[in-house]
Amino acid sequence: MSHNEQHKEILLELRNVTKHFPGITACDAISLEIEQGEIYAILGENGAGKSTLASMIFGLYQPDEGQIFMRGKKVHIDSPNKAVALDIGMVHQHFKLISNYTVAQNIILGDEPKKRALGVFPYVDIKSAEDRIEQLSKDYGLEVDPRATISKIGVSTQQRVEILKMLYRDAELLIFDEPTAMLTPQEIESLLTVIDNLRSQGKTVIFITHKLDEVMQVCDRCAILAGGKLVDVSHIKDTSPAKMAAKMVGRDIEFSAKRPSKQIEETVLSVQNLRVEDSTGFPRVDDVSFEVRAGEIFAVAGVSGSGQVELADTIAGLVRPKRGKVMLKEQDLAKLNVRKHTESGIAYIPEDRQSVGLILDFALDQNLALRSYYQTPYCKTSLLNQKAFSDHADKLIADFDIRCARGAKTPVRGMSGGNQQKAIVGREIEQDADLLIFVQPTRGLDIGAIMSIRKRILDERDKGKAILLISLELDEVMDLADTIGVMYAGKMLEVAPATDLSMTKVGEYMMGVTAND
Amino acid sequence: MTKQSKMSPEEQRLEKLQEQSEQKRRRRDKDRNVLQELNRALDAATRTLTKGLIRGFGNERWQSLTIPLLAIALSLVAISILVLMLGSNPLNVFTGILAGAGWIPKPSYGGGQSQLTDLISLSISLTPLLFGALGFVVAMRAGLFNIGIAGQMVVAGFAATVLVGYSDLPALIARPLVLVVGAIAGALAGALIGFLKHRFNIHEVVSSIMLNNIFIHVASYLIKANHLNHASRNMNAASAEARLLTEPVQFGEVAARLPVGFLVAIAMSFILWLFLTKTKQGFEMSAVGKSPKAAQYAGIKIGPTIVFAMALSGAMGGLAGVTHYLANVPAMTPDVLPALGFDSIAVAFLGVVHPLGAILAATLIATLSSGAVYMGSVAGVRHEVASVITGLILLFTACGGFLRAWLDNKKRSFADDENLKGGDAS
Repeated sequence: MSHNEQHKEILLELRNVTKHFPGITACDAISLEIEQGEIYAILGENGAGKSTLASMIFGLYQPDEGQIFMRGKKVHIDSPNKAVALDIGMVHQHFKLISNYTVAQNIILGDEPKKRALGVFPYVDIKSAEDRIEQLSKDYGLEVDPRATISKIGVSTQQRVEILKMLYRDAELLIFDEPTAMLTPQEIESLLTVIDNLRSQGKTVIFITHKLDEVMQVCDRCAILAGGKLVDVSHIKDTSPAKMAAKMVGRDIEFSAKRPSKQIEETVLSVQNLRVEDSTGFPRVDDVSFEVRAGEIFAVAGVSGSGQVELADTIAGLVRPKRGKVMLKEQDLAKLNVRKHTESGIAYIPEDRQSVGLILDFALDQNLALRSYYQTPYCKTSLLNQKAFSDHADKLIADFDIRCARGAKTPVRGMSGGNQQKAIVGREIEQDADLLIFVQPTRGLDIGAIMSIRKRILDERDKGKAILLISLELDEVMDLADTIGVMYAGKMLEVAPATDLSMTKVGEYMMGVTAND
Repeated sequence: MTKQSKMSPEEQRLEKLQEQSEQKRRRRDKDRNVLQELNRALDAATRTLTKGLIRGFGNERWQSLTIPLLAIALSLVAISILVLMLGSNPLNVFTGILAGAGWIPKPSYGGGQSQLTDLISLSISLTPLLFGALGFVVAMRAGLFNIGIAGQMVVAGFAATVLVGYSDLPALIARPLVLVVGAIAGALAGALIGFLKHRFNIHEVVSSIMLNNIFIHVASYLIKANHLNHASRNMNAASAEARLLTEPVQFGEVAARLPVGFLVAIAMSFILWLFLTKTKQGFEMSAVGKSPKAAQYAGIKIGPTIVFAMALSGAMGGLAGVTHYLANVPAMTPDVLPALGFDSIAVAFLGVVHPLGAILAATLIATLSSGAVYMGSVAGVRHEVASVITGLILLFTACGGFLRAWLDNKKRSFADDENLKGGDAS
C-alpha cells in the first residue's frame, strides 16, 4: 500500500463549501483538495456532516456557499446526472437496485446500449453490456455474474454491482458512503481489497466512514469532520487511531447539566447473556450482560446500528429475545407481554417518537393515556371516561410545559417535535416506574427542549429511579452517565464508571478499537 | 450620413440585419409582455378562486360534511348537463326520483299504494345497504378493508334461511332468531378473514375476495342439491314467519308489511358510533388502525384486535345478508354475489367512513335506486340515469380525499406567504 508522495494532480477541490438546513449548519465552510489516485477518508460521528458533504459532491444537494472545482475547472453540480457526466460516481449506504432485474439490467439502466434489429426496430443490446460488465469485473477483481437476479445475490455482491455501475459509466472519482455498515467482517475485508484495486487502476476514492480501523487499513489521507466543521486533515501514516478518535469527539461540550449521582442502591435491571436476532437470524444483540441500579444513569454509547435499539426494545418487551434473561428486581420478564412489562415497572421512551411513541392522528389527551387508557380512572367496565382523559392531559400539559394549540384535544400531528417528545417523556415519567428507558431522547430537538429533557432525566435519577439511556450523541452520554456501556456490532465491549472513561476512550470503543494504546 | 457612406457595403448589410433582428426582438418582447399580463391575471383569478374554495371548504371540522355535499352538488350539475343534452328537463328527473322513492307525493297512485308504501319499500332496500356500510366502516376503523361483505351476506342469508326459515317457529321467535343467526354466521365468516391475516399474514383484501367466491359457490352447491325451487330457479323461500317483514298493517286505505330490520339498522349506527368513540375496545381498534407499532407499544394485542374487528364487521355484513335475502328480495339466487355487498363500500365512503354518515349516504343511494323506475316513466329519460347519478356521486366523493389534501396544501402555502410578508415587514 505504498503511496508515492510526489506532487499529484488535484482532481476535486472544495472551497468553503457550506450547507445550512433549518436550525443547523450541516457543513460549515469546508475546504478540501482530493488528489488523483488517492483514497481519501472522511471521518466523523453521526451528524458530523459527512453524508451532506458527499451529497453535495454527487449533486444531491447544492451548497449554499462555496465552490466546487473538478480538474481545476469550476463546476456547478446540480443533479446526480451532472455528477455522472463529470465522472463522479457514488455507492449509497442503501443500495438503489431493482431487485427483480438482473445485474446487467441494473447496471445499464438509464444508459442502455441500443441497436436496431434489421436496421429499424430498436432494442437494448444486453449481450454486449454483459460482455463489457464481465470484462470490467475481471479488470477490477469484482466477482459477479451479470446474468444473476439481484434478489438472489447477497449484500456484498449487490454492493459490487453498485461499484460496477459506476465503473460502467467511466467514473474517475468514486464516493463510498459508509460502505461497510451492512457487511460482515469477511465481506469488509474483500471490499477493502477491491477499493485498493481501484486505486491501483488509477481511480480516486472518497471513503466515508466512522470506523477507524478501515481508515487505517486502506486510506492515504483522512479528513475529520465534527459538528459540520473540518477539524483536521492528516496523512494516515503520520497519525494513530487514538489521535483521530480524540479529534473526532474532542470538541468542547457546549451544555453541561452534569450532577453526580447522590446514591446508587440496589440492582433494578439485570440483563444476562441476552441474544436478539433479526428475522434472518443475524444477531443484533450478542451475549450482552449488564446491570442498572436504582439512582444510576446507565448510558449505552455506540454508533448507529450497533444493537442498542434492539436492546431497548427487548427490555421493554416489544421484541422477544432469542436467549438470555431480563430481570426487573426479582421478576423474569422474558415470557411476559408488552403490557405486563409496563405494569411491572418499565417506562419506555422509544427512538421513533412519531410512529411508535405516539399515534399522530389521535388527540393529545388520548396519547397521554396511551399506556394506561384501560385502567381507572380512564376506563370503567369498558367505557371510557372522556373527562378523566382531559383532566389528566391538562395536568401533564402544565407539569411538563407541553405547548399545544387546542389544549387536551390538539391533534398530536400538528405539534412540534419538541412538544411531542415532552408529551411522551411526561407520560412515561408519570407512570412512576422503577426503570426508565430513554432512547435518543433529544434527537432532532432544539436546545431548549434538549436541556429540559436532560434535566428531567437527572431529576428522575435523583428520585432513585434506574435509568437506561441510549444515545448516539457522545456528548449526551458523557454529560449524563454515571456508568457507561459501549456497544459495537451487537456486543457490549466495555462497561465502566463514567469517571473512569475519557471521551476519547469511549470514542475508540465505539469504533470497535479495543487494543490499549 | 457621412458616417454611413464611409461604411463598406458589407458593413451596411450587417447594420441592416442587426436592425431587423432588433425589431424582431422588440416585437417578441411585446408579445411576451402581453402573455405575462395574461398570466398574471390568470394567477390572480386562480388565487381568488382558491381562496374562496378554502373559505368554503377549508375548515377541517366541517370538511366531513361540506366535501360530500360538494360532491353531491357537482354530480347533480353534471347529470343536469347530461339530461339537457338528451333533450329532457333535469328538474323532472330529480322530482321523479324523489316521488318514486316516496319523499314527495306522486300525482296518482295505483291500487293499494300510497306515498307511505313507497317510503316503506325505500326503507326495505335501505336497510341492507346501511348494515353493509356499517360493516365496512367498523373494519376500516381498525385499518382493514373488508371487501368481503358480499360473502358474509351469502353465508348469513343461507344459514338463516336453512336454520330458521325452513323451521315451524312462530314469528315472534323466528324473526329475532334470523337476526341473531345472521349476525353470528357473518361474524364467523369475518373472523376467519381476520384470523388468516393475523396468523398467516394474508392480506384481508385477497382472502376476502377468494372467500366471497368460495362462499357463494359452496352455498350454491348446497342450494342446488337440497333447496332449489324449480319454478323460480332460486333458493326455496323462507317461511313468512321468518321473513323480516311484519304481517300487513292497515294504514287507512292501504296495507303494508313493515321491515323489522330498519329500526335495528338505525339503532345499530348509533350503537356503533358510541362503541367506536366511547369504549376501550373501540379505542384499541382505532389505535391498531392508525398505527400498529404504537398500538403494540401501548400494550394492545394486535392479532386479537384484528380478529375482533373483522368479526364485528362480518356481523354487520351478516345482518345485511339477512335483511337482503329475507326482506329485500324473495330468496337467494344461486351463483350470484349480491352487488349490494360492494355498493355498501361506496356508501361507507360517501358517508365519510362514519357510522352516522352511513345513514345519510345509504338513504341517498337507496333513494336513487328506489325512485329510478318511476323517474324513468315520467321524466322521459331511461331509468339508468339514476345509476349514472349514483356513479357520479361516488366518483366525486372519491375525489374528496384529493380535494382535502389540495386545500390543506394551498392553505399552508398561503399561510407561509403571509408569514414571509410579516417577516419582511418586521
